[in-house]
Amino acid sequence: MLRTSDILSTVRMLQEEHLDVRTVTLGVNVAECARGEMAETCRAVEGKIGARAGNLVRVCDEVAGRYGLPVVNKRLALSAASQLLEGRGARDALLLARAMDASAAAVRVDLIGGFTALVHKGMTPGEQTLINALPVVLGRTERVCASINVADTRSGINADAVRLVAQKILQTAEATADKNGFGAAKLVVFANIPEDNPFMAGAFLGPGAPECVINVGVSGPGVVKRAVERLTKARPDASLDEIAEEIKHTAYRVTRTGELIGREVAARLGVAFGVVDLSLAPTPLIGDSVGEIYQAMGIEELGAPGTTAAVALLNDAVKKGGAFASSSVGGLSGAFIPVTEDHALAEAVAAGTLSIEKLEAMTAVCSIGIDMVLVPGGTPATAVAGIILDEAAIGVMNGKTTGVRLIPVPGKDVGDRVDFGGLFGGGTVARVNCPRGSAAFVNRGGHIPAPLRGLTN
Amino acid sequence: MPEPIDGRRCVITVVVGDRVGILRDVASAVADQDGVIDGISQTVVGGYFTATLTAAFPGAVAPEEIRAAVAAAFGPGEAFIAVRPHARAAGDAPPVAGARYVITIAGPNRPTVLKAVTTYLARRGINIEDWNVMFDEPYVTHVGEITVPRHMDIKQVQDEFHHLMMQLGMTTCIQHENIFRATNEVGPITSLLKG
Repeated sequence: MLRTSDILSTVRMLQEEHLDVRTVTLGVNVAECARGEMAETCRAVEGKIGARAGNLVRVCDEVAGRYGLPVVNKRLALSAASQLLEGRGARDALLLARAMDASAAAVRVDLIGGFTALVHKGMTPGEQTLINALPVVLGRTERVCASINVADTRSGINADAVRLVAQKILQTAEATADKNGFGAAKLVVFANIPEDNPFMAGAFLGPGAPECVINVGVSGPGVVKRAVERLTKARPDASLDEIAEEIKHTAYRVTRTGELIGREVAARLGVAFGVVDLSLAPTPLIGDSVGEIYQAMGIEELGAPGTTAAVALLNDAVKKGGAFASSSVGGLSGAFIPVTEDHALAEAVAAGTLSIEKLEAMTAVCSIGIDMVLVPGGTPATAVAGIILDEAAIGVMNGKTTGVRLIPVPGKDVGDRVDFGGLFGGGTVARVNCPRGSAAFVNRGGHIPAPLRGLTN
Repeated sequence: MPEPIDGRRCVITVVVGDRVGILRDVASAVADQDGVIDGISQTVVGGYFTATLTAAFPGAVAPEEIRAAVAAAFGPGEAFIAVRPHARAAGDAPPVAGARYVITIAGPNRPTVLKAVTTYLARRGINIEDWNVMFDEPYVTHVGEITVPRHMDIKQVQDEFHHLMMQLGMTTCIQHENIFRATNEVGPITSLLKG
């Protein structure tokens, strides 16, 4: 028997606090599409995506209508495209990416992930082809997203790959200079890449996954913020553990909406259900911000001492609530801090209270990394590589995922304002301290060995 | 066709100004007649205790005897009490087979809203199983649980209803009950989807 107060609190989450399913992502393994000629491979990829994902958007819309819970994005995550590029060249990489782009458009999804290479231990020729093709691919396609895993806790950090990818980030930004380097927003460099992350730009179908699988990303920073606000309004002296408890309970409720939607979509499509990823992913809307949650906790200026602890509290409470809500929790599950996509974080960067160094500290305790951060277009490749190495080190040493999504904005310098529009938002170009101060270290290349905690067998 | 009567069961309705111990009095009266209560819905509306019970008795029931036994617990004219034999078919199947949805309506308190809502639902063959109204003048919030016939296009119902309520200045939602059970109950989601 449902209680009226419970019904109304759920309605409030949906109607006033921006609760939604941020993404239903269909993973599709395209390894079987390899053919002798790339044109044939592309046709096979398009055919498989059409067959498997043709009903994705319709089914998501039907289920969303049934529950009155918006499914904001419907997306595709393919198995690593590098598998289809062994023995191929740059032209074939672009052909494959265009086939992915066209397939996504045909089934009406806005982004398709899986232009991916896993190079944490070393690089095959196909993976090298994929990485080298990134500027062209991300410059000439609309929906394709790319991810490169350069490190993991069991392998250490492939510093050669980091150096190469850093150059490609800058070249990608240059290739999309007319869009303020937006191509780089579709490329994530990971340590410990999750195989079931439904969120873009880093979604891909991992090698251990079923042939087709639905992974769901739920968000709801607005719901969490309002829960914290209600608590602190009712009890202004609420302690941090009470705030953590409130967030945990809220995360439980949010996570279960995601599993409900995901399981029903999967059943209707006749594919496996994978995971629900409860990640507090903001949008540029007021009231849908992760930064506002920290402010509601009492961090009046984001970046002030204590901010990292606030991130840790939030991330941990979200994970605990999610873990109790569902035994199918996966992906990243925690708090994101994508600067341009979160108005409060973007304003803190513009005000100078939130620096790249502070963001880096926050990434040690949140679920992802330096995300959607604008840097000057003239940033040297070694500095970009240094930022990736730092993030990878945090991920590898702590046995967690970290990622870097930097956007070096061509022609822009510290303090300049950039707007991408839509969910990608906008922000202010941040300062990279000592941009040439680590070139000698980065240029040594090679491999940073795995930590002792990676030797667990 | 008249419904067959279950001669050993009856339906009892009691409406009385609320005070402590009313349900005890009613339950005691039924028990004293060797009855076993097997269904009950009780609430307080506007200061009035209201309850409807079903009860089974070991032999044939004389409704007037049960009514008199319950009435003995109250002063003269204090309570409205009705007892009728239980129609067997009424307990066998719900009036509508389908999916349970929750309907919420909020907006200015106007006397025509409930009539418009219930008229629409009845016309579409949608059964109301529970209804609560909360007044916070000048606003009102209705929360109802309804059963939508299995093969009905829920999107069409949602759209029609939204349009109807918009004309009355009300906001509304019709959502499958599982979204509320998922967010408010403890238990595996898979059990909701199997149900």
